[in-house]
Amino acid sequence: MDPQPEPVSYICGDCGMENSLKPGDVIQCRECGYRILYKKRTRRIVQYEAR
Amino acid sequence: MENQSVGIDKQFLAAPVKSAVDKFQLLPEFLKVRGLVKQHLDSFNYFVKTGIKKIVRANDRIVASKHPNIFLRFKDVRIGEPSIIIDGSPEKITPQTCRLSDQTYWAPILVNVEYSQGSPGQPNTVEKNDVIIGRMPIMLRSCCCVLYRKDEAELAKLGECPLDPGGYFVIKGTEKVILMQEQLSKNRIIIDTDKKGNIIASVTSSTEAVKSKTTVVMENEKIWLQLNQFPKKVPIMIVMKAMGMESDQEVVQMLGRDPRYSSLLLPSIEECAKNGIYTKEQALEYLESKVKKSMFASDSSERESRAYSVLRDVFLANVPVHQHNFRPKCIYVAVMIRRMMDAILNKDTMDDKDYVGNKRLELSGQLVSLLFEDLFKTMISEARMCVDKFLEKNNRTNRFDFSQYICRDSITTGLERTLSTGNFDIKRFKMHRKGMTQVLARLSFIGTMGHVTRISPQFEKSRKVSGPRALQPSQWGMLCPCDTPEGEACGLVKNLALMTHVTTDEEEGPLISLCYSLGVEDLELLSGEELHSPSSFLVIFNGLILGKHRRPQRFAMSMRKLRRAGKIGEFVSIFVNEKQRCVYLASDGGRVCRPLVIADKGISRVKEDHMKELMDGVRTFDDFLRDGLIEYLDVNEENNALIALYEGDATLETTHIEIEPFTILGVIAGLIPFPHHNQSPRNTYQCAMGKQAMGNIAYNQLCRMDTLLYLLVYPQRPLLTTRTIELVGYDKLGAGQNATVAVMSYSGYDIEDAIVMNKASLDRGFGRCIVMKKYTAIKQKYENNTEDRILRPDRTADNAGRMQILDDDGLAAPGEIIRPNDIYINKQSPIDTKTLKGASAANLPDSAYRPSIQTFKGPEGESCVVDRVVLCSDKNNNMCIKFLIRHTRRPELGDKFSSRHGQKGVCGTIVQQEDFPFSERGICPDLIMNPHGFPSRMTVGKMIELLGGKAGVSCGRFHYGSAFGERSGHADKVETISETLVKHGFNYSGKDFIYSGITGCPLQAYIFMGPIYYQKLKHMVLDKMHARGNGPRAMLTRQPTEGRARNGGLRVGEMERDCLIAYGASMLIYERLMLSSDPFEVQVCRKCGLLGYYHHKLKTGICSFCKNGDNISTMKLPYACKLLIQELQSMNIVPRLRLAEA
Repeated sequence: MDPQPEPVSYICGDCGMENSLKPGDVIQCRECGYRILYKKRTRRIVQYEAR
Repeated sequence: MENQSVGIDKQFLAAPVKSAVDKFQLLPEFLKVRGLVKQHLDSFNYFVKTGIKKIVRANDRIVASKHPNIFLRFKDVRIGEPSIIIDGSPEKITPQTCRLSDQTYWAPILVNVEYSQGSPGQPNTVEKNDVIIGRMPIMLRSCCCVLYRKDEAELAKLGECPLDPGGYFVIKGTEKVILMQEQLSKNRIIIDTDKKGNIIASVTSSTEAVKSKTTVVMENEKIWLQLNQFPKKVPIMIVMKAMGMESDQEVVQMLGRDPRYSSLLLPSIEECAKNGIYTKEQALEYLESKVKKSMFASDSSERESRAYSVLRDVFLANVPVHQHNFRPKCIYVAVMIRRMMDAILNKDTMDDKDYVGNKRLELSGQLVSLLFEDLFKTMISEARMCVDKFLEKNNRTNRFDFSQYICRDSITTGLERTLSTGNFDIKRFKMHRKGMTQVLARLSFIGTMGHVTRISPQFEKSRKVSGPRALQPSQWGMLCPCDTPEGEACGLVKNLALMTHVTTDEEEGPLISLCYSLGVEDLELLSGEELHSPSSFLVIFNGLILGKHRRPQRFAMSMRKLRRAGKIGEFVSIFVNEKQRCVYLASDGGRVCRPLVIADKGISRVKEDHMKELMDGVRTFDDFLRDGLIEYLDVNEENNALIALYEGDATLETTHIEIEPFTILGVIAGLIPFPHHNQSPRNTYQCAMGKQAMGNIAYNQLCRMDTLLYLLVYPQRPLLTTRTIELVGYDKLGAGQNATVAVMSYSGYDIEDAIVMNKASLDRGFGRCIVMKKYTAIKQKYENNTEDRILRPDRTADNAGRMQILDDDGLAAPGEIIRPNDIYINKQSPIDTKTLKGASAANLPDSAYRPSIQTFKGPEGESCVVDRVVLCSDKNNNMCIKFLIRHTRRPELGDKFSSRHGQKGVCGTIVQQEDFPFSERGICPDLIMNPHGFPSRMTVGKMIELLGGKAGVSCGRFHYGSAFGERSGHADKVETISETLVKHGFNYSGKDFIYSGITGCPLQAYIFMGPIYYQKLKHMVLDKMHARGNGPRAMLTRQPTEGRARNGGLRVGEMERDCLIAYGASMLIYERLMLSSDPFEVQVCRKCGLLGYYHHKLKTGICSFCKNGDNISTMKLPYACKLLIQELQSMNIVPRLRLAEA
């Protein structure tokens, strides 16, 4: 059906390690066990207006 | 000529004599040791270290009611390290993780217990250590907090701002402050008048066991006692007799020899005799008939009369009765009566309730302690009940473990709930207060500081009396005279001054025995006659009469010497009241006090070398205290001191010297430069506005996830600073920018305080701000094992356009531009969340879900940016996704700005730089302010700020403008500023030669121009702008909705309607009230006057009452009117319409 979804990775708030989450996963860094993850910045090109 | 030959330096001779020691350095040292929120931290630390142990020790035993051999005893209690339990294992937490993941920052309450175990028949005693009985929210930076004694780098590692004051709690991710509560001091005699003008002496007693209010009142020349336990007031002489004071003569002796006292007492004695009461037994019998009958007849009253127990336990509860010895209470009553009579004979001995010395501040530690005590006792009684139930049911067979009954979470939830709602509802202490905690204001750094030093009043705000609101002379140096809100809470809500400290409780026992060894004659050994003998003073310790002393001054002096030597606590106050012939000692908590330099015969004890040692870092503030150079005085003891403002002003009688005069102001008023040159209300206005200024919040501001966060893009530190600014760190976390201001008229867009702004300045970033808003989404789990799901966006769906910013995980990506109505989370919820599904819940068909997407509703036509997306799990283990959306705004027409002098104004127009005036040097102002702002406001400080700022930029040095600082060198004088200006080629008055930007001609006048620190306030047009043509209507009334958030209409209210009626604009009223609101066509029967309906098949109106359509008229009515008619009909009232030809 769909093309394979591109896995989205999240950055650990403590150690900066990249984690990928699957639905149902516990939100926790695999490396250090920190429980707050941040989403990575978009890879699309964004054009801001500076005014 | 001659001078030169002798070699005299004229300038040196002419310079003022350097007499005073510069004591300013003490201030930063004080703030380093004590800090601005030290009172909160101290009181919480006291609770954690001492208070909680006392509470647990007082209630350390749970014994099963029927089996006295089955028990549990608390041996010790302590607070552990902040942690939470995740999957059964404790995990350490930091405040920042709690803020981000909506947790409570708390630590376990650990107890060591000893309890009975095994079969109830023959239990054996077991010990168990570190049992968790609950969790205690931890105040940030207190001794339990992980931030305690951390340096800047360590704090940064924990994600914390080093300038953040602490002193608040983190409850469910929000920061909560418990404000200081101001109340009348407990256990003190207060002489006052009641509503009828009678003189009363009242004592609010408060001990660990009882809280009561005892009032002795003089009415109809007789003296009575008022107590809640007696429904009617009772004669005081009978009470005295009941307490064993049978001889009238002794009572008179206790009051004192003066015949005026005895003549005032005579009617009361007569009253007593009239009732035929002469003995203790008769008096008790009489009181027994007066006492309020208790609801449930307890068996204890069988043995002793109820009146007796009331007198012992409730009446003047703060005076202890040991072994039925009522003598201290009798003497206490006598002293109360004597003070009342003093007030009758001499009006000015009345106590002032607004006097700060009669007030106590209740701090967060005390409040948490009350809360904990209540919850702990509840937990104990619950545990006892459970154990009793268990023992009853299981007849001494089953194994039994007492310790499992104390590990309930009632303490945890109780603490969390109370702190998060702020509703203190403690039945045990009859305390029902709302709004005790507030969300910490994080609008600006200085607003946060102001919030933790705020004091909230106890009385209701609606009272129209001026007394409590007025500025009290005793507030000097303790409470800020400027910082109070305007409006209803004016003068009631106060703020602490810079150097104020609030005391915490201190051990009483050692102090009392010290008093006795210093020559206080014990009360027990005194006869009534000796009590008020003219040569001696009574010694009163924390409201309790200890005895008398024959040489009060010497006694006070030796106590003070002991305090200065550090032998007794530094916050103990010794106050000799000559008028009342009493020595008051106080060691209780909640008194406000401040440090002062001690002087001997007018000569300061702090010398140059001390200050040098301080500068070199070998001496700290505590050393000054320990060496007796500085001491803390509370408001009462200040009355015994003669305080010189400056060392030079000291005379022989001077006992103390102020450290710095500007410390009478608080943190927020300390930001104002030259406040002593401003009209006083302007400083108050600035105090209110400084909290709304945008700027930096904290060093960790970009790591926080506040619901709303205002930031300035390029904050600056003020060119004209004050010492307070440097002390609190406003120079590091500023909230404003130095704008070059020209004070002149320009166009017509600057009337009424509007300001004209330079477009080029705005392009360069002046006043540009960032508004960050948090949006939360929760991936909810339901009870039937179903769960929300977040889907990959379908790129081919209809709303794919609105889902462009979503990544494949269904969440908006940081960095993307988000516009109104864009979807930031593609979430679906199961339709059925109730019926149990079992295992199949995970793979429900798509049809079982309904979309619950969340769309962004921001300002129309503006583009915002997704700043950050955070994933964490909340308390119920649901996934919680937070989106922080950023909007950068440049100033626009109508945005609010203010200088630091209560001079707010909106942006009136934005003008091209080409049209702006400019000086010969090419300096072009950033904004133009209308000169009409000055004459009536009299903000001379602003003018000096402009001068000082101008001198500052030209010479490259920050200038100072601390309050009252000219004399001590903390504020620059206008004279020296002008000199600097002249040196750099400016006019001494700060005026410049200006060319018009429009014509290019020189302006007729010289223009007062220079930099002033301007704040951008949070009120912005974008958040308030609102207009509506057509729009949504309310369901019920079909009228336009209300409010900007619902795109509502603008109401023509009653007063507007009145105007239109008065003017006679009837058609306008008709249009506004009906056509533009809720027009509705109705069918009215002319015969019966009731409303009919329109029959769509017959195409006629029909009256449902007359059952025909003969007399139907069609007319227009507001829908609300039709609704009213129908509602009245439903209540059996028939409104009938009578139609006439129009």
